[in-house]
Amino acid sequence: MNMRFEVTPNLCIGCRTCELACSFTHTIEGKQARSRIYPLDGGLKDLWVPVVCLQCDDPACVKSCLVDAIKFNVDTGAYEIDDEVCVRCMACVAACPFGCSLFDSHQNRVVKCDLCGGDPACAKFCPTQALTYKSALSHAG
Amino acid sequence: MTEATTTTAATRKITSVKDLEKLRREHKAENDKYPKQVMVCCGTGCLANGAAQLVEAFHKALDEREIKDFEVKAIKETGCHGFCEQGPLVVIEPKGIFYTKVKPRDIPEIIEKSIESDEVIEKHLYVDPRDGKKIECYGEVSFFKHQERIALRNLGKIAAHSIGDYIAVGGYQAIAKALTKLTPDEVIEEVDQANLRGRGGGGFPAGRKWRTCRDVEADEHFVICNGDEGDPGAFMDRSIMEGDPHAVLEGMMIAAYAVGARRGFIYVREEYPLAVLHLQKAIDDCHEYGLLGENILGTDFSFDIRIARGAGAFVCGESSALMKSVAGLVGEPREKYIRSVIKGLWGKPTVLNNVETYVNVPVVINKGAKWFTSIGCENNSGTKAFSLVGKVRNTGLIEVAMGTTLREIIYDIGRGILNDRPFKAVQTGGPSGGCLPESMLDLPVDFDSLTKAGSMMGSGGMIVMDDRTCMVDVARYFLQFLVSESCGKCVPCREGLYQLHQMTIAVCEGRAEESDLEKIEELSDVVVKASLCGLGKSGPNPVLSTLRYFRDEWEAHIREKRCPAGVCRELITYTVNEKCTGCVACITACAYNAITGEKKQPHFIHQDRCTKCGACVAVCRYDAIDVA
Amino acid sequence: MINISINGRLVQAEEGEFLLTVMKRNGFKAPALCHHEAVEPYGGCRLCMVEISKPQWKGWKDLVVSCLYPVSADLEVQTDSEAVIQERKTVLHLLLARNPHTKEIKDLAAEYGIVRSKYQEVAEPDDCILCAICTRICDAMGFSAISLVNRGHGREVAPPLNEPPPDCTGCLACALNCPTNYIKYTDNGMTREIWGKTFEMLRDPQTGMPTITRVFAEYLTKHREIPEEYFGLGDESHRKRTARNFGKIAAWTREETVREEA
Repeated sequence: MNMRFEVTPNLCIGCRTCELACSFTHTIEGKQARSRIYPLDGGLKDLWVPVVCLQCDDPACVKSCLVDAIKFNVDTGAYEIDDEVCVRCMACVAACPFGCSLFDSHQNRVVKCDLCGGDPACAKFCPTQALTYKSALSHAG
Repeated sequence: MTEATTTTAATRKITSVKDLEKLRREHKAENDKYPKQVMVCCGTGCLANGAAQLVEAFHKALDEREIKDFEVKAIKETGCHGFCEQGPLVVIEPKGIFYTKVKPRDIPEIIEKSIESDEVIEKHLYVDPRDGKKIECYGEVSFFKHQERIALRNLGKIAAHSIGDYIAVGGYQAIAKALTKLTPDEVIEEVDQANLRGRGGGGFPAGRKWRTCRDVEADEHFVICNGDEGDPGAFMDRSIMEGDPHAVLEGMMIAAYAVGARRGFIYVREEYPLAVLHLQKAIDDCHEYGLLGENILGTDFSFDIRIARGAGAFVCGESSALMKSVAGLVGEPREKYIRSVIKGLWGKPTVLNNVETYVNVPVVINKGAKWFTSIGCENNSGTKAFSLVGKVRNTGLIEVAMGTTLREIIYDIGRGILNDRPFKAVQTGGPSGGCLPESMLDLPVDFDSLTKAGSMMGSGGMIVMDDRTCMVDVARYFLQFLVSESCGKCVPCREGLYQLHQMTIAVCEGRAEESDLEKIEELSDVVVKASLCGLGKSGPNPVLSTLRYFRDEWEAHIREKRCPAGVCRELITYTVNEKCTGCVACITACAYNAITGEKKQPHFIHQDRCTKCGACVAVCRYDAIDVA
Repeated sequence: MINISINGRLVQAEEGEFLLTVMKRNGFKAPALCHHEAVEPYGGCRLCMVEISKPQWKGWKDLVVSCLYPVSADLEVQTDSEAVIQERKTVLHLLLARNPHTKEIKDLAAEYGIVRSKYQEVAEPDDCILCAICTRICDAMGFSAISLVNRGHGREVAPPLNEPPPDCTGCLACALNCPTNYIKYTDNGMTREIWGKTFEMLRDPQTGMPTITRVFAEYLTKHREIPEEYFGLGDESHRKRTARNFGKIAAWTREETVREEA
């Protein structure tokens, strides 16, 4: 894994295009998807913070999953929920300290950011490059 | 029960073949000291009939008088001879004087006449039911004369709980030979050449099974003995485990050496406490003598055995369910696309064989494959133990060479049908087996012939039926058993056998229609094909085999609402015929006041009160009640 | 990698893979009522049976449960042959006799043209199809609060001794994964009740949104090393708090930048 997803809150203008992109990308058979990224109030004027899964090194969600439904994808660097394995116990939703595992009531499943399988839509559509997905090596310095 | 040990030699560890040989000579000399020995059968059957009291009575009588060259040690509590209905049995060796139905009060006379002197007490002798002749010797009794006892070789001949006796008759010679003269591969080759096929019912060649297991690379291999014997009425394995436990251990040791196992388990069903007792004593004695544990007989072969107990489930006789049970889990079979020899107990390569298979192994090693194949018939070498029960005169445990015909077993050993009634069918193979009619009486009893005829060898149950047996009722009975023993995991067995049972009950009760027969056959076919394990797969056999050979009976029940054998209650009526003498015996016997009549006048049965309990038929001495 | 053929089409698979996995991956369907990816295949319902053969078997065929059958080279699979359909129909008739009023069974049976079971319906039918998905998941999660009791036709899912199960954490995995919604529970946001046991729900102090049961949270803290504090808020509040925390950091950077420009 040599890609990195970076969030720069100071560049975020709160336009919520990322939310739209995320939702549309994960729509299945016409069933709308809940977004996995949330630009929220940073506590200061004009300060927005897009809250999204940090793909932790020691994820609480993985630890909390008693059926090992959350697996690491070496190619994308993201932790993915295997929907067929997930038993909907909501342990990961309760355990994630960042609130990035959530229940999608439209599609009736637990979801989290999976970096769109390697081509994150939010980063593609972010007008200010507050969200980027680049080679880790290009972040020298 | 007092345990009379038969060895005076101090128990000490056997660390070499020489030690074993020395011990054998010592124990044999100990036994040979006595010109006469008394074998009291203490198998479960005779025990239930009072054998323990016989032993006590013998000891008491000996306390009261001293007999030259005869001590308490010459009285041996042996395993089951197999002729349980004639018990309690006492055999006086070496002549083999065979006394039946002995009671404690008979002991003083037996001691006086047959031990102190050389007389034979006529009243205790076996009477041949065919010609009324009294038979003196064990070997001449028709029940035993036609048998060939290999698996049952020591039953009735040695004290069941004595390692000394076992060693004295050549026990543990085979493992000694294997460990010192043969490589594991050579052991497997010998068993393979002997074509020893699994005696638990599968008939799978043991040598091939062992070889496959041995070839799997793993950090541990296991050897398990299946002592579950769930078939109702079968007690071959019970008698062997009770009466010759060391032979089981020796067989397992040889298998362990062959496949590279260090641990073995004997799975004994919950209902066999005496078998567990004797097996445990045998294991404990082996520990003391160094025949189990580290460095057996001074070689680098180490092996130990533990007993695992069942908890009352027939399905735990199935190999994968058994292994789950040994591991402490619920006994439920699994799909065996990956067989247990590859991944069995705790995921390790495991050899599972039946008790009877294991006790044949020492004989194969001692006497060789060529000798073993000289007994039996083509592709079915050796012998098989059966429990011969039902409407036959001599019932009990027997062992015959493979290829012996059903006729020989039923008529020569069994001495024909009780009360001279006509033979109707013989059911073989336990609940999952099949029924064979008179036309198949000359069928040789071996794995392949029985399977081809629509039945199976199974573990060796053989139930003889006369004309008063309804074959549909037989199918119903076995289905009921299988339904209650199904583990419930897979739909075809759990639901399919249940529905087959319900439909068969309907046939018995006269509620079935023509289309039901087709439904039954169709469902049977799918249950056979789609069930997960052997219980389900062979579950419909009672139905399929009775339909094959006794279809007319099924059709009579369905089309005419009639039970030709006069068994199915809803379809029969009891009527008094012209032979009635008016003795009022039946009126007295009837608990439902369904019979009326004066003394010396013909009696009459009121159908609305009659429950078909059969009490009247049982007491009538004039055959005056017709059942139809 | 090996090649096997399914309904005449060649597909690739790893030696030893379960046939059903290979089938699903390549778009072939078979009903599999007792199947759930969270647990090992069971082989209980027998609906996923398919007909297999190999060239060296000289025409001999076998019916196997695809969920557990390990594939090997030269395997030829027919997922809907006559023998398979006959077997599946019979199993559906049997299931329908046990669960005549269960929608999921009725729907599946209807797909095979079956409206009513040809066998005798049981006396007091319920919706439990004895697929054991609930108990197997409960085992996999480490609780084993419920299990299958009784042997054979009287088998049922129950807690030990039919009492409120001591090991149940109220996670609802059993009820939420039951194919027929047989397992009932109540949940009013404050308390949850299932298997006769009542649970207190942890709730977000600000929004009042319930998360998981207190017992479940305690289990995760004790056995999976998740700090107790993590369960103090609901996910929405966690996101808001995250935004504030990262906002603070972003603000410092902004001040620095501002200072630099000055």
